[in-house]
Amino acid sequence: MALLEIKNLHVCVGDKEILKGLTLTIEQGTVHAIMGPNGSGKSTLSNVIAGNPVYEVTEGEILFKGKNLLALKTDERANEGVFLGFQYPIEIPGVSYATFLKQALSCKRKYLGETPLDPVQFIKRLKIRAQALGVSDDMLKRSVNVGFSGGEKKRLETLQMAFLEPDFCILDEMDSGLDVDALRVVGQGVGIMREKCRSFMLITHYQRLLDYIEPDIVHIMINGKIVASGDKLLALRVEEKGYACYK
Amino acid sequence: MRVINKRLSPSEIFHEDVIDASGTYVIEVPEAAQYEGVFLLKGENLKINISLSGEKASCRVKIVYLSCNELNNNILCDIYHNVPQTYSSQFVKGILAESGRTDYHGTIHIPFDSQKCEGMQNHQAILLSDTASVICVPELEIYADDVKCSHGSAIGALDSSQLLYLQTRGIDLKEARKMLIQGFLSDLLPKSFEKDILDWMVQHA
Repeated sequence: MALLEIKNLHVCVGDKEILKGLTLTIEQGTVHAIMGPNGSGKSTLSNVIAGNPVYEVTEGEILFKGKNLLALKTDERANEGVFLGFQYPIEIPGVSYATFLKQALSCKRKYLGETPLDPVQFIKRLKIRAQALGVSDDMLKRSVNVGFSGGEKKRLETLQMAFLEPDFCILDEMDSGLDVDALRVVGQGVGIMREKCRSFMLITHYQRLLDYIEPDIVHIMINGKIVASGDKLLALRVEEKGYACYK
Repeated sequence: MRVINKRLSPSEIFHEDVIDASGTYVIEVPEAAQYEGVFLLKGENLKINISLSGEKASCRVKIVYLSCNELNNNILCDIYHNVPQTYSSQFVKGILAESGRTDYHGTIHIPFDSQKCEGMQNHQAILLSDTASVICVPELEIYADDVKCSHGSAIGALDSSQLLYLQTRGIDLKEARKMLIQGFLSDLLPKSFEKDILDWMVQHA
């Protein structure tokens, strides 16, 4: 069953059209990698799905679990199960990680009409996820993303994802600025989360992320459109020959 | 107004002891003593006059103000470094909603002979609406030539990228605004004042 269906999507920022009729279907339980040169619209695509108001959809539609995603607000999309892992996670001074995650989970439960969060259960759940990703209690007490290294920030993005258990995870250049060890931690985090009902969209410039997270389908995006799709060998071919042959 | 006044040495003081007939907090800090004052204002006038009168005397003033329709604040804070080697700091943070307005005027006075003093002033405010306004004058009046002083002010709206980040985690806009405001004020306010802020935000954030 299709989890996400994007049909003929056109997106503008100001007067500039960035996505020019993009069509993409992501089935439940699959991992899709989107590769493409700088400025091809990869980050725009992830931001539009997540609901960043800077981007204006001028044509086309996005269906998530059959619902019109574009009619939902950013927070509603998240609570429906869309998660965007940021390329550059935002710093929020004065708000601790634990408070932030508690608030996020309570909002989700409220949205889904579930019973309010039990504080003891919350701590238990958080600790289990944090330990698996090597995130210490001390890190959870600190302000969101303030003073963390690039690797730690990405690890904490992975923790948020593991904690909130979304159905669709978009990872926007999770590999940028990571050393091999940090990349492995993020890769393992995603690996643990691969399930039948959960899908991933990995945005990346490099093949090396795909060594840790093996994709089912690789798409090449050029100039606001998907121009080629194939299996993981496509990523290897790009690594070898570049994007020139797709332009 | 909610106030915590403490003199860490030689003895505790209470805020009734330091208000003069005109409603000004007049505080004299003797040699080697420290004074810390925390003030929370919601549409009030506050005048503070602190004299650092003995060497190694220091003071730290923390002011948080909340402003909304017809609840305007006027803050006047003067700190006098009367002798050498005295230290002061003022941290002021404000949240302004609707057509709220606040005037903050802070001055550090350092006369000729008061060398080796350190004074610091910092004001930050968040405007939650287009009609809110703040007038901020962080002044230094320095006549000595061997001192370390700084003053600064930053006024702006809530950060849209921070709001978006919280929303992408399922937190609705109103809740996200509240979290950012609480985070912004968290370094100045003690836990005991938290409820005042939360109550105010229910209506105005």
